[in-house]
Amino acid sequence: MRIKAKAKDGVVTVKAMLKHKMLSYDQAKKKGKEANFIVYIVGKVDGEPVYEVSTSQFLSKNPYLKFKFKGEAGKELELSWIDLKGNTKSKKAKIK
Amino acid sequence: MQRRKFLGLGLGVAALSLAPISAVAKNYRKELPKAWKIKNKDAENDLTGTNEAIKAVFGSDKTEEGQIKLKAPDIAENGAVVPVSFKMEKAKKIAVFQTSNPESLVAIFDVPKNGIPEYAIRIKMAKTGTVTVVADIDGKLYRASKVVKVTAGGCGG
Repeated sequence: MRIKAKAKDGVVTVKAMLKHKMLSYDQAKKKGKEANFIVYIVGKVDGEPVYEVSTSQFLSKNPYLKFKFKGEAGKELELSWIDLKGNTKSKKAKIK
Repeated sequence: MQRRKFLGLGLGVAALSLAPISAVAKNYRKELPKAWKIKNKDAENDLTGTNEAIKAVFGSDKTEEGQIKLKAPDIAENGAVVPVSFKMEKAKKIAVFQTSNPESLVAIFDVPKNGIPEYAIRIKMAKTGTVTVVADIDGKLYRASKVVKVTAGGCGG
């Protein structure tokens, strides 16, 4: 997971790239594998959500996200995801 | 009555706090399992599936134009990676749909207290279709749509 979080005038802009194959049911069938994709992503600062999305098999492979929220530099943004099989990943990034 | 409401709320919070990631978060995969399964019709740009999915997510498919600025390419050379972005002044909930894949619903955003609804994602589109963004703004539903012509499919590889 790669995260870039930059603050300007009280607004934090985040660009993130998550690493996941995002195998849809159709794609999985063709490859003889099981479908699996990220179903939920949450971004938090000080434990409070600042970004929240439930996702489907139709996000592209290695999903790219861009979002904004009210915040300041110096704090930490924690981005987490969970996939259909229950795997989770979390990463923290300092807001610059 | 007041007390009962409060108790109910307490229970809700307790149940949510057992969720793996967050205490306040809403995972719509669990909340609305059926909404993700609503199929698109085969015809290009047929919005039947999208409208059904909008109803499943928002409780109604009565929408108005305006408020949402939606950006998507006119022509996508690679259907596997179609950039879609949208912004609006404010919103409580936003959802993205398309008519190009077997099912319509792509994502549901809950905009948190400090969230600013200016979001970008990249989606797969197996063929030409209509991308629709619906937002709940002050209890009213707004819709923006865009046709994206796909010259190479996104679900092949």
